[in-house]
Amino acid sequence: MSDREGPIRRVLVAGGGLVGWSAAAALRRRLPWLEVVILPIAPPADAIADRMRATLPSILGFHEDLGLSNADAVVRTGSGVRLGTLFEGWTAGGADPVADYVHAYGRHGRPMEGGSFHLHWARAARHQRPAPFDRFSVAAAMARAGRFAVPADDPEALVGGFEHGLHLDPERYTAMLRAFALHCGVREQPGDLAGVAIGADGFVTAAVLAEGGRIEADLFVDATGPAARLRGALDDRRTSWAKWLPCDRLILAEDAAMPADPLDRVTARDCGWDWTGGGSRGLVYASAFAGEAAFAGEGVAIDAGTRPQPWLRNCVAIGDAATAVEPLEWTNLHLAHSAIDRIVAMLPARDCAPVELAEYNRQCAAEADRVRDFLALHYTASDRPEPFWRAVAEVAPPPSLAHSLAQFRARGRLPFYEEETFAKDSWLAVLIGQNVRPERDDPLIALVPPDRAAAAMTHYAQALAAAVAALPPASAASHFLLRS
Amino acid sequence: MTETPPIRVVIVGGGTSGWMAAAALAKLLPRRCAVHLVESEAIGIVGVGEATLPHIRAFNERLGIAEADFMAWTRATFKLGIEFRDWGRIGDSYIHPFGTFGRGQSEVDFHHYWARLVQAGVDMPPIERFSMACTMAREGRFALPTTDPRQITTTFGYAYQFDAVLFAPYLRALAERMGAVRSEGIVVDVEHDGESGDLTAIRLADGRRIEGDLFVDCSGFRSLLLGGAMGEPFQDWSRWLPADRAVAMPCRTETALTPYTSAIAMPAGWRWRIPLQHRTGNGYVYASGFISDDQARDALVAAVEGEPIADPRLLRFTAGRRERSWVGNCVAIGLASGFLEPLESTSIYLVQQAITALIELFPQGRVRGVDRDEFNRVIDLEYERIRDFLILHYHATERDDSEFWRYVRTMTIPDSLAEKMELFRRRGRIVKYREGVFLDASWVAVYLGQRIRPEGRDPRADLPALDVLMRGMTALRDEVAATAAAMPGHLAFIDRYCPMSPAA
Repeated sequence: MSDREGPIRRVLVAGGGLVGWSAAAALRRRLPWLEVVILPIAPPADAIADRMRATLPSILGFHEDLGLSNADAVVRTGSGVRLGTLFEGWTAGGADPVADYVHAYGRHGRPMEGGSFHLHWARAARHQRPAPFDRFSVAAAMARAGRFAVPADDPEALVGGFEHGLHLDPERYTAMLRAFALHCGVREQPGDLAGVAIGADGFVTAAVLAEGGRIEADLFVDATGPAARLRGALDDRRTSWAKWLPCDRLILAEDAAMPADPLDRVTARDCGWDWTGGGSRGLVYASAFAGEAAFAGEGVAIDAGTRPQPWLRNCVAIGDAATAVEPLEWTNLHLAHSAIDRIVAMLPARDCAPVELAEYNRQCAAEADRVRDFLALHYTASDRPEPFWRAVAEVAPPPSLAHSLAQFRARGRLPFYEEETFAKDSWLAVLIGQNVRPERDDPLIALVPPDRAAAAMTHYAQALAAAVAALPPASAASHFLLRS
Repeated sequence: MTETPPIRVVIVGGGTSGWMAAAALAKLLPRRCAVHLVESEAIGIVGVGEATLPHIRAFNERLGIAEADFMAWTRATFKLGIEFRDWGRIGDSYIHPFGTFGRGQSEVDFHHYWARLVQAGVDMPPIERFSMACTMAREGRFALPTTDPRQITTTFGYAYQFDAVLFAPYLRALAERMGAVRSEGIVVDVEHDGESGDLTAIRLADGRRIEGDLFVDCSGFRSLLLGGAMGEPFQDWSRWLPADRAVAMPCRTETALTPYTSAIAMPAGWRWRIPLQHRTGNGYVYASGFISDDQARDALVAAVEGEPIADPRLLRFTAGRRERSWVGNCVAIGLASGFLEPLESTSIYLVQQAITALIELFPQGRVRGVDRDEFNRVIDLEYERIRDFLILHYHATERDDSEFWRYVRTMTIPDSLAEKMELFRRRGRIVKYREGVFLDASWVAVYLGQRIRPEGRDPRADLPALDVLMRGMTALRDEVAATAAAMPGHLAFIDRYCPMSPAA
């Protein structure tokens, strides 16, 4: 249609939480010809991406793309370093009890003569008793020891080849983003959303304000949380993941007095899990199994699932408005960042041509499915005896996860998928941490005799432990971040 | 720890794929398998897949093959890309490089900046002037790439053009050193397990019987085991890739030893030109519905540049593949699993990918469905991505000079390709994958080379000021040109690095 020719000039971002301000700042900074208006509606209680303190390592890349330094984005906002998560009680143990495991980011061990380290570890685990898998991860070792160093430039170095995330103070962090966004030229239009005006062609023409007035734009970015107050006006098609991710309630409590610790603790409970770390604690549970528990009925709802078309016509949902999942593994903000990056890289013209949106949506869907699989893995691979855990273990996993599990169980192989959030080492940390084991030795490592492999593993674990013990305490992390 | 007995692997067919498989299995799974390859000197090998992709280097490295030794033995030359002549229009020429356009490091792909200037009416040189691989190819230069990412000399890769008839014996020597056993003979029959239908043995014409646990079908187009014994159906792709014959004829090299392969469009297909150290390979790939065998042969003979050194040889094929490449305990590798014309030198690449997947999924004891399914999933992805890329070459044309070109220009193409083309046409967007043989620069080269000009571009390409961008472009082009000019000539490099033995 002729009135939809030409480039996108004006964008409205709805949502004044961490996600909304991240989107507004990134769009204005990275696509500086855009006029970016934000309607800073306070994030609702169920907008998980806006509220969680723990982040994945990808947030540092997001800062870098915006030109935000560690001094401004991390240290001055009171953020801390986050190295990983300690998972406690996610398996009952069985014949080979594993009390807990750490999922941190980056390399485990070193490959030996062309065979992946985990294949050697898995073979050793079947015949001997090697140190737990996470003892071979430098980030996990640092997290357990409360030590920290920035990764060495050389990824092959002993204290290299890893990444870390952050613990945010959402209020201070959002304030920093807001100041940065306004400095970049984002225009703030205070108000609340009363309705969405839709034109004859189905495109959104304006956000209608409760206070009267309307904001017109070429493109509308919905960062209002699960309610998707803009995008939801076009359609409400959603794919539910509830059968694989059955926790449907979240109780969140801030705890400013909590000591800084780079390691979160995530503990499996009768009908869900709880966490402490980074200045917050919380409980995520399945209401159908809560019974008479004291907390039953409390908290906000989580409706696990995704929109098959986060971007429809000229309205794109990001964060929880696009994909809602429980905060396990802290993916909510990461998915929002990833969507923002994708909007920047794929910005269409004003006509929002379906062929371009289809490619955007294809990538988002692939990414969301992989996150779903990674979270579902934690449940499906658990052998805990409680009714909640038995019920979720009985559900057949999504086919792509079933394929990954079958491949891993057969011989320790992890099939490749596009748009994967978690690297192979993260999958290994959780698979092995939850007692999923390959049934057979991979023939590829037959060239290395088991005792030679075992000696190399012992040597590596000792060298790593010694190197980590010599590092400064994690409490000094901000000092190092300022220098890096 | 208990050692399971080695799997008895029976490979049917020598040739490039058979010996590549034998060498890789013997070298990489020495205790897990016992390799027995059956081939017949009475059956020729196709052996026209002389041009490769850069992936072959990783394969050779894994097998411990020393590059210079291998190149001298197979009389190989370096290959920086493929020149496509007369594809978009008669008179056109472009190079699909093994490398990037620009430095390949900016957030916005280089071709968007180039498109911006073209769209602004700037008289831009062809995009290949901003590619190290293309420029070296055009200038006939070669040097090995470097590893410091700040240098422009890291922006290209390379493959080989070699004599496949010499590659098989080279691999055979390696495989036999590693313990592979070879038998001379012609397979006349197979035996199946009554219950599972799996293969249990092959029978040879002289009465010998060879038992095995896993059968690898490298019998070429005949697909003796997979297509024949296992009856796996063939998926015909000839409605998109109508070429079904090739006539091949080597000749003496009369012109410069180009560090690239040429694919020259012809009235009913295309012609390859692959320069080796001792000869030049030529062949005309054509669609028999549009031209007779005699016409094709005459056209090839007329087109070759030097004195022929063998008679023209005819090959017949159908584009497509067996629905599954691994059925029961039978894995087909190479032409026995499918055929895609050698337009983008993918034959040996597909062999290599199948071998790599087989090694990663190699059975212990009996074959398990979980391994087989993953193998087939991996191979499916490879075939389908290559298929779309090949179809693009035929479909993206303005040629109207023959019935063949009118057909391919107007045929219905797979939806997956139509969407990719539409994305590029509108905004210069490339559908991104992390995995797959042909990544961004390959698609850009073919789109632009075949006259698909993006109407728009990534809006971020408009961020630099016009004069700053133009100065940067000029500096880059000059750096590429000067760097290429300082390199040795292709022939001089080969003479120093890997000359074939004069007596050979």
